[in-house]
Amino acid sequence: MQKKIRVLIAKPGLDGHDRGALIISQALRDYGMEVIYTGLRQTPEQIVASAIQEDVDAIGLSCLSGAHNELFPEVVQGLKDNGADDIIVVGGGVIPWEDIPYLEEQGVMKIFTPGTPSVETAKYIEQAVYKRDGIKDREPGELIDRVDHIGIAVKSLDESLPYYLDTLQLKLEGIEEVDTEHVKVAFINAGNVKLELLEPTSPASSIQAFLDKRGQGIHHIALGVNDIQERIDEMKRKGIQMIHDTAKPGAGGASIAFMHPKSTGGVLYELCEKPLKERL
Amino acid sequence: MEQDQDFNKLYEEWKETTKKLMERFPERKDAFQTSSSIPVERLYLPEMLDEKYINQLGFPGQYPYTRGIQPTMYRARHWTMRQYAGFGSAVETNRRFHYLLEQGQTGLSVAFDLPTQIGYDSDHAMSKGEVGKVGVAIDSLEDMEALLKDIPLDKVSTSMTINAPAAVLLAMYIVVAEKQGIAPDKIAGTIQNDILKEYIARGTYIFPPKPSMRLITDIFAYCSEHVPKWNTISISGYHIREAGATAAQELAFTIANGKAYVEAALKAGLDIDQFAPRLAFFFNAHNEFFEEVAKFRAARRMWATIMKETYGAKKPKSWQLRFHTQTGGSTLTAQQPDNNIVRVTVQALSAVLGGTQSLHTNSRDEALALPTEDSARIALRTQQILAHESGVADTVDPLAGSYYVESLTDSLEEEANAYLHKIEELGGAVAAVEQGYMQREIHHTAYETQKSIEKGEQVVVGMNAFQLDDEPKPELHRLDPELAKNQKEKLKKVRDNRDQQRASAQLESLRQAAQGTDNLMPHIVECVRSYCTIGEICGVLREEFGEFTGV
Repeated sequence: MQKKIRVLIAKPGLDGHDRGALIISQALRDYGMEVIYTGLRQTPEQIVASAIQEDVDAIGLSCLSGAHNELFPEVVQGLKDNGADDIIVVGGGVIPWEDIPYLEEQGVMKIFTPGTPSVETAKYIEQAVYKRDGIKDREPGELIDRVDHIGIAVKSLDESLPYYLDTLQLKLEGIEEVDTEHVKVAFINAGNVKLELLEPTSPASSIQAFLDKRGQGIHHIALGVNDIQERIDEMKRKGIQMIHDTAKPGAGGASIAFMHPKSTGGVLYELCEKPLKERL
Repeated sequence: MEQDQDFNKLYEEWKETTKKLMERFPERKDAFQTSSSIPVERLYLPEMLDEKYINQLGFPGQYPYTRGIQPTMYRARHWTMRQYAGFGSAVETNRRFHYLLEQGQTGLSVAFDLPTQIGYDSDHAMSKGEVGKVGVAIDSLEDMEALLKDIPLDKVSTSMTINAPAAVLLAMYIVVAEKQGIAPDKIAGTIQNDILKEYIARGTYIFPPKPSMRLITDIFAYCSEHVPKWNTISISGYHIREAGATAAQELAFTIANGKAYVEAALKAGLDIDQFAPRLAFFFNAHNEFFEEVAKFRAARRMWATIMKETYGAKKPKSWQLRFHTQTGGSTLTAQQPDNNIVRVTVQALSAVLGGTQSLHTNSRDEALALPTEDSARIALRTQQILAHESGVADTVDPLAGSYYVESLTDSLEEEANAYLHKIEELGGAVAAVEQGYMQREIHHTAYETQKSIEKGEQVVVGMNAFQLDDEPKPELHRLDPELAKNQKEKLKKVRDNRDQQRASAQLESLRQAAQGTDNLMPHIVECVRSYCTIGEICGVLREEFGEFTGV
């Protein structure tokens, strides 16, 4: 996250059910935002005043009593009247679908219906604030700048290389031993992506374990990233289980970290940051 | 051998009481049997009876009541089917009440809108957007008269979900009955009147804890004298659970609050066997079927033990925990709402097998809006199918003796007792609430639950698994947009047409009573009779008692 986003979570009206408001406050905090919760029974005027006083980027309104059509637009209007309509307003709670177009017309930017994962709300607010502030919006495509390589486990480089080099006629870019991982790797240029053949050099190698369990084949996909530690932290905030919490050295001078296949739909992904010259 | 004799003695006693009871309340059929003509006994017992069985379980209708508070339970009469309803105006809600009674519902249950629940008139600035939304708007006696029009208050019992201003709504009910020619000692019903859980979980409090507790004990004292058939409090775990608590936390915090009310009443000089039989409980029924059944059974045993051992109550009626159950609103999904009918069925079944006295089944569309008439009827039918088609009401406590259920019952009791000890250490429920202890425990559980749902570790069918791409959008209940305006006009007329001097004088006498130690109920009844509004009555008390602003 490039700037610390401040959010006011507010309970307009008399509704006392604040489980949702408390949960979303905690979830936004865990995502890295600063969150102020108003407590119960706030009038739209009080919410507008707190938002301005606390200099927040966004307000999240929560209401389960059915008073949203009256109270949410009043908050938006109050911000306008006070010249603070750059504050983004979103809402959630028990809100029937047919009310959503009306609320959006009134200037509520987005309504989150029940069952929305809280991280979606966090991401939405983040994107909306970045867009408003002209901060370059980092779409997922930009977070990951390309597939860097595909890792393929092989029993022996000597046995495998002829297929790639002679049959497929691809170009070998180099062979390297990575002691820390107990592997010998061969990089092959496959046009728009590299293939990384991995041969275990010791029984302690995780590649050996992979070969024992599954035999030869695709081992991982490496995603090229710009700032690996930031990406690792971000993945963790989004609930991805990381095998490595901090980056470690990989082949070719890269910094790498693996994500656990349990939280990535069964695929082993590597985050991989290459030294700058290699990226050009 | 000696134990056998003890057991035989108790068994004989049970048979004797049951026989006597059945003379007054015969069972629904002369003989019960399954579709294969296998006779269904009233009670099933283990082959080997030991001391543990007698101490922990005993017979239904006998201490510690683990197996139910009556010897015959639903073989004599089904639980009360009490669907919670209320929306819009009193006239509109009255129409829904008549509809539900015609459909076979056996008790009324009133939902009030938030201004009523927090003691504001419909024209108060804080009421904006809320009038008639989550329940019916009641400003004065006139609205209450419209709400109960043509409902025979000596035949129907009414539950009112009202807490901070419970005294005012009860006073209105008493006066309406009086106008129907029915004396206060003939009316029956329940007011929720449980303020501690408002501070913990639901947020519709008005006054600070101390004067709130006084209002509650004033109601206890007044009713034991004048309205003896009224359940003066319904100590509610429901909202604690909805706020995110586990089953064990629901059980523990509810019983802790119950103890606080008992202690407040004892401190106010009331006799335990006078007020304890009028204490009722209100629990939630969630999806985890066996744990829910075990929770209800544990609750009865724990309460009986506390009342007998800790507080020395003498009357068996004081030991019996009677409870209403509502299926869990927070378990329902906005996605694929018809699935909610199935959830509600499982939850309702757990309440019935747990021995509930009355039941509300939620409607399928409650995660979206107030129930439509169609969905309210399906919810009631769900109970009727359980009662009349499933056969689960034909024997008492059918799950007793299940190794799993008995073990869960013991474990829940143990876990709840650990919480009760912790709360004792903090100085009791009132002190624990003031320190925010229960609030924090519940919030922590709620957040962990949410995270595990979002990670997919906890499956919610239709929401994080088995989703549909193009969900059809159901018809939702819509409120009359003119409602608030009409309600405000009606209120203005009441204020214009009443005897203003008399109303002011009654409010003044309430103020003076509040400053002293008089029982406030008679003053509130007089205010109501003079058409003082709920906002005016609570306004006086706000000025005298102050307002609670949250932890």
